[in-house]
Amino acid sequence: MKPAPALAEGFPDLSGMRVAREPHWFRWFSAALIVLVLAAIARAFANGQIEWSYVSRFLTVKVILEGIVNTMVMAVLAMALGIVLGIVVAIMRLSPNPVLKTVAAGYTWLFRGTPLILQLLLWFNLALVFPTIGIPGLWSARAVDVMTPFLAALLGLGINQGAYTSEVMRAGMLSVDIGQYEAAQAIGMGRLRALRRIVLPQAMRVVIPPLGNEFIGMVKATSLASVIQYPELLHNAENIYYANSRVIELLIVAGLWYLLVVSILTPLQMLLERRFARGTLRLAR
Amino acid sequence: MTKPLVAIRSVSKNFGEFQALKSVSLDVWPGEVMCLIGASGSGKTTLLRCINQLATIDSGGIWLDGELLGVREQGGRLHRLSEREIGRQRLKTGMVFQRFNLFPHKTALENITEGPTQVQGRKSDEVRAEALELLRRVGLAAKADSYPAQLSGGQQQRVAIARALAMKPMLMLFDEPTSALDPELVGEVLAVMKELAKSGMTMMVVTHELGFAREVADRVVYMDQGAIVEQGRASDVLGAPREERTKAFLSAVI
Amino acid sequence: MTRLSLSLGLAALAAVASAQAAELPAEIKQAGALKLTVNSTYAPMEYRDPATNELVGLDIDLANELAKRLGGLKIVWSETPFAELIPSLQTRRADFIISGISDRASRRETADFVDYLATGPQFFVMAESEAKAATDLCGKKVGTTRSTSFPVEIEKWSKQNCETAGKPAIQYVPGENSIDVRNQLKQGRIDAAVQGSETLPYAQTQEPGKYRIVGEAFAKGYQGIMIRKDDSALREVVTEKLTAMIADGAYKAILDKWGLGANAVAQPMLNAAPQ
Repeated sequence: MKPAPALAEGFPDLSGMRVAREPHWFRWFSAALIVLVLAAIARAFANGQIEWSYVSRFLTVKVILEGIVNTMVMAVLAMALGIVLGIVVAIMRLSPNPVLKTVAAGYTWLFRGTPLILQLLLWFNLALVFPTIGIPGLWSARAVDVMTPFLAALLGLGINQGAYTSEVMRAGMLSVDIGQYEAAQAIGMGRLRALRRIVLPQAMRVVIPPLGNEFIGMVKATSLASVIQYPELLHNAENIYYANSRVIELLIVAGLWYLLVVSILTPLQMLLERRFARGTLRLAR
Repeated sequence: MTKPLVAIRSVSKNFGEFQALKSVSLDVWPGEVMCLIGASGSGKTTLLRCINQLATIDSGGIWLDGELLGVREQGGRLHRLSEREIGRQRLKTGMVFQRFNLFPHKTALENITEGPTQVQGRKSDEVRAEALELLRRVGLAAKADSYPAQLSGGQQQRVAIARALAMKPMLMLFDEPTSALDPELVGEVLAVMKELAKSGMTMMVVTHELGFAREVADRVVYMDQGAIVEQGRASDVLGAPREERTKAFLSAVI
Repeated sequence: MTRLSLSLGLAALAAVASAQAAELPAEIKQAGALKLTVNSTYAPMEYRDPATNELVGLDIDLANELAKRLGGLKIVWSETPFAELIPSLQTRRADFIISGISDRASRRETADFVDYLATGPQFFVMAESEAKAATDLCGKKVGTTRSTSFPVEIEKWSKQNCETAGKPAIQYVPGENSIDVRNQLKQGRIDAAVQGSETLPYAQTQEPGKYRIVGEAFAKGYQGIMIRKDDSALREVVTEKLTAMIADGAYKAILDKWGLGANAVAQPMLNAAPQ
């Protein structure tokens, strides 16, 4: 065997030298600038015409706390409805049956194509179109008795959410390698069982980050239900300032609570992501 | 006279304009180990997928264990079977995929027990015991609780073979089972397949591993452009091919 | 020209100039326009004509007449929800508020009211309702716009007239605005509704025969032009012009045009509402 050839001249050995740390002058400068701006804003707010005593006084008052509970209850229930609908509609959309496909596409088009607040108002005022609702022969009731603010909010928020969730779920299901579906079929599984046991669980990993995001959006979307008299946080805060004219102070109270809820939900979503990544070594960042 | 386990008669399959199978006819006998060789696009994988109905044929018929697959003859016309019926027919075959396709969210053991418990509705303790035995048989008893991501390619493919066997099929289909493996892992999978062949399982193997074919195959079938060009004993087809195209293919491959 | 006459002349000029400044705030005079905010969902006080989408109403007409008499000022209108009216006065987005707003003690912290219209909440029902007297509404569901002072009025009235008589209290149901409240009445979500007596004649002309007023306006009050407390000059000049309008009949003409002749006041009052 020939010995290795001698190395060429002119290329020094740098292995003893370390790379110096860059001073990043611009980063320091911009950070200082931002701190200054924030300090100026904080000072402006402190000196502004806000009666902070009203903020602290109403922050934990019973009506506000009830509002938060109602907000969260509605967010959870509407999201649950939205997820169930989303899965069903996504499966319909991916079905070989053209009728199911069209119905699914139509549902998505209709409920993504109209503003949420419009949908809430329509549900709440359903009795203008259908004074009585029911199943002929079995049961009937006045629409206004059935369509309470709670139900109208739940239907409006949930069905609207379903349209968005179905797209997320569909993308998630399509992201699962088709080989998985074929392997399931090869051991005799039908389409629905393969979806349920093999495809959907894998789709969940892709779907959790956007769904977590949607849930956080839902918590805030519940504030739209204030116009149909659902007593959530914003509605109750408004009632207080209608009585005492402290508009900004009460809006700050409501805003702080929304911020708090979202700040708690964000790390919870990360925990959920981790659980669904079980079985794979890579975690989506 | 015994009947063939698989009888393929004048089967054609098109993908749009492209003719993947051109009126192919073939018999596969019980206990036979058949290797299908050929260039990609020759139709060998398509043929396999038609047998377990992952692909639907456009004309002709395939009988498995005497039963016509995918359709029912009635009043002189063919009617497609329901999804349920097709699922039932698929239970007679087991398939091993080139890319393993193990379920990543289930352990090795769970991958194997999934079919018998969910599809066949069998009792979980029985199934578990059998699954552990299968894992032992493919040399992976220690990996029962590992997830696919924790296994090497060769180990995954062996689990995939066990998964297919758990359904107690009468025919095993292998679609290029070692093509996606690093060279040093190929041997362990081929060893499992050899043991399976020895145990009497009917196997159809699409492969490029001519050494394996020579050693284990009862019959080698060379396909090109959607048709069978030559078939016969491994020593004949591989050692002394008659057709020009077969010779050309073999010299390119070796 | 002697020094004395010059200084006297200058003093006279200064006096006249300051007297004129006391009439109308300088910035309004300079702008040549009044900035006014209204909540335009309150027919017939201020609303958008469904046919032409123009901003019309009793308050609009009164404001236009006032602006004319204040030296031909233009008006720059802006619209907000009811709850934003007071803030827009506080932030000086509006020079004063004339928007069907009730004079209430709780609102007089930073502003004064020049009362110009008698009003009061009033019950009304669908024409086919069985309620005949206001006390028939005890125990029933009554709705009104939640951002107004009416929920409190209803509660007070209910205490005085229902609970003291041993009857069940009125159940208050909130609504977003007067149209929403009427919608809920039509659907049967509420048995009766409450609106300012100034809006009912209009509602009845829009949908003839649909509604029926029940009882008298309870809790008599006034609607006032809301002016910042420190804007006394503006308040004086507005009161002056309004008095003139009442005297020469222009005020009555506008009220009659909108069917509210019965709500007229004899002269503008300052913070006259009783509470």
